This record gives sequence, structure tokens and C-alpha cells, in this order.
Amino acid sequence: MVNNHIASAFDRDLDKIQAQIMKMGGLVETAIRGAATAYELRDLDLAAKVRANDKTIDQIEETINDECSKLIALRAPTAIDLRLVLSVFKVSSNLERIGDYSKNMAKRTIVLEGLANSHDRRLGLKRLAREVELMLKDALDAYVNRDLDLARDVIARDMDIDQMYNALFREFLTYMMEDPRNITPCMHLHFMAKNLERMGDHVTTIAEQVVFLVTGQRDEDERDKGDMTSSDPEMSKTSKG
Amino acid sequence: MTTHATKISAEQVQVHYGDTHAIKDVSIGILDNTVTAFIGPSGCGKSTFLRCLNRMNDTIDICRVSGDIKLDGHDIYDPSVDPVQLRARVGMVFQKPNPFPKSIYDNVAYGPRIHGLARSKSELDEIVETALRRGAIWDEVKDRLHAPGTGLSGGQQQRLCIARAVATQPEVLLMDEPCSALDPIATAQVEELIDELRENFCVVIVTHSMQQAARVSQKTAFFHLGHMVEYDDTSTIFTNPKDPRTESYITGRIG
Repeated sequence: MVNNHIASAFDRDLDKIQAQIMKMGGLVETAIRGAATAYELRDLDLAAKVRANDKTIDQIEETINDECSKLIALRAPTAIDLRLVLSVFKVSSNLERIGDYSKNMAKRTIVLEGLANSHDRRLGLKRLAREVELMLKDALDAYVNRDLDLARDVIARDMDIDQMYNALFREFLTYMMEDPRNITPCMHLHFMAKNLERMGDHVTTIAEQVVFLVTGQRDEDERDKGDMTSSDPEMSKTSKG
Repeated sequence: MTTHATKISAEQVQVHYGDTHAIKDVSIGILDNTVTAFIGPSGCGKSTFLRCLNRMNDTIDICRVSGDIKLDGHDIYDPSVDPVQLRARVGMVFQKPNPFPKSIYDNVAYGPRIHGLARSKSELDEIVETALRRGAIWDEVKDRLHAPGTGLSGGQQQRLCIARAVATQPEVLLMDEPCSALDPIATAQVEELIDELRENFCVVIVTHSMQQAARVSQKTAFFHLGHMVEYDDTSTIFTNPKDPRTESYITGRIG
């Protein structure tokens, strides 16, 4: 459908903003993976690189915003074209946020290394990061291929992310109860887990944009929120408490 | 959006020009106090269908119209209906401004005079002033009502024609590309006027400018090859049309 406007320059403009999204998506995937690997392997150089690369992601977002405003002003897109431009706007701002969270993880990795009592159980966060990265990859694939099934699958998977986060929340809480010296590192680790959980929400929003782009409608069912830490008091109780 | 009553209802309308089947089985309910836009590529039948609504096609010998078109529930093609009386109720504005070679005043007074709507000079003055105000041109012409209408600018002439059309107090206004001969400022003035006219009239506009349809109408019907492909709220047609032909047309993919 995209490549057949009577005005071929319109096609080129639409292709251009989509190519920017893909480039940005690739960089953000790299950022998540980099942040997770830097944490896992205690690779401070890699962590510094993730922080530095976030600037490029921010710049692409600005370029996309400029290109989209120009396209709206000059071409007055309608229907599928309008939805495409709107989705590009949204997806780029979601990607930008995911980039920020990755950068924040990288920062905390550097801080954690400087702590005397750095916490050493790295498995849970690694799994969570891996899942979010996969979800993002699938969401972007769904976006490129206008794949509704894959998009809905991604939306459903946010539940798993939330549950993994809940488990980590309780785990960190237990460590902090056990030994107050764990509090500082566990606070950082908890923020990293929360960052990943929020990334999952942004990825879900990207997948929802695919549904909107393809169908012109949003799926009715408000998905269940799996993050219980902010609503269920039981989540904040420990065996010792 | 509040729902308005159906003013014109068309059922299975067919139009033939000789052997050419120009309108194929069109059914539509046009709402009162609403601007309805007909859009579609050249030759799709939108103007032909518009001209069915006040029997302008009667003037073309080879043209045959069948099906039902009702105004307020009454068949407008019934033999007892006088087409001249019908056109007083269903006024029309054309693509090119076509004022009569008369004064501004007489242009507007012409319809009310032949339909005997005024009993005195002062009553006629009042009708002319009201019509010119409704045409959003009163302030520009009130000091030169007896100057020729043809001396006005294109945009003013078109608003004069709209004033002339509303002077007979019609219920429906048909507009066939009323802005295509106007510059952007005059177009904006006429569009503003169309929006005001909706208060008192049922307005149907044929336009080649999709942006104009999007700006002025609440309902849009898309015509293609003699069929009415889709008819829906304008906001729906321009954001999420149901038929792929509508989508292709409004996004600039087919002509």
C-alpha cells in the first residue's frame, strides 16, 4: 500500500521516516543489550559506551519529529498515511524513553562497581533484560511487517515481564532485610529492574501502535497489569516482617 | 455529534445518459442542518447525483433518472411536483460565479419576485438584506446595492450567488464546486459561510478538494465509477475509511 502514491515524493518521505525508526530501533536494541552485558560482565567501558550512544538516539528522535511535522504540514496525510505518521511519532518517543532507561542502567552499573558491598546475584536481571530485548525486537518486526499476531503476542508478554519484576522486587527486599549493608546495592538493582519493567511497558505501547496502524482501532481489552508491587500490600511483606 | 433528521432520502437511484449508466444504485440519507460532501474522481457521478436532487437533470433530454428521491418524505419526481417550485426549496450554487447582468440588489431580489415572496418594497428590501447578510457580503455591498453584480470580485460574486440562492428561503442548498474558481482567501470566506449556513439549511457540496471536504463537512460520501462506495462521518472517512477504494482515493493513490 505504501509505495504507490501518485506523488512519488510522498512515498519517499514516508519511507524516510520509517527508515529512521528502524535505525533508531536498532540502536535502542543495542543499548539494552549493551546495558545488560555491561552489568553482567562488569564491563565499565561498555557501560560508558551505552551512556554516550544515547545522544545519537536522542538526535534521531529530533530528526523524526522534524520530518513528521514537515510531512504533516506539506502533505496533509489522511487515513493509513496519517496513522503511519502518528505511529512514527509515538514509536520514536517510546524508543527514546527505552534508550534513557538503558542509559540509566549503564550509569548504575558503574556506581555498583564502586560500592564495597556490591551485590553479586546477577541472574535475575539478566533474564529480565533478555526478555525485554526480545520483546523489543519482536515489536519492531511486527511494526515493519504490519504483523498483528506478533504485535498482540508482544502485548501479552508484558505480563511475564511484570511477573519477573515482582519476583526481583521480593528478592531484593529479602536481601535488604537480611543485611542492611545490602540496602545501597539493592536499591540500585531495584531501580535497574524497574527500568527494565518500564521498558517493557514502552515496548508494549509500540506493539499497540502496530495494532492501531493496521486496524485503525485500539484493542478494547485493557490488559491486566502484572506489576503488583504498587497495588498489593502483600508484595511488600517479607517472611521476616 | 447530535443527530439530525433525514432531509433527503434517495433509494436505489439510477441515472442513464443515453446508453451510459452514470449512477448505479445509489441510496443515501442526507441529514438536515449538516454539510454533506460528495467527493470522488472526475466522472464518478457526484455532480450528476447532486443535480438529481433538484431535478436539474430534467433539462437534459437524454437523461433518465429512476429510483426514489424524497424531500421530507415526498417524492420529488412525482408528476404533481413543479420543478420550478422544487428548485425554490432546493437552491443551487455553481462552480463559476454566475451573477445576472443586473444590479446586486436585483440579483438577490429576482427569486423572491418571481416566487411572489414579498408584498411590498420594504419587505423585499428586508429579504435582500437578510440574504446578503447570510451570504456574508452585506458589509461589502450595502453602499452600492445598485451597482452591477458582475463588477464584484470573483469571491464576492460567488457569495452574491449564495445570497441569491438563499433569498428564496430554500431548505436545501446544493453547491457544485463553489470554490474552484476562487483564490484561497475567498475560498476561506465561502467555507466559513458554508459552516454558518448549516444552522438554517441542509447543505450538500460537491468538491474536488478533499481538504475542503474535510474542513467544511460533517458527512462525506465517496463516489467511484457511478457507485457510492462509502458514506460516513467525515472524520471517519478521513482517518479510518472502511473501503480500500476510499482509502486509495483520499490518500492520493488513485485518480
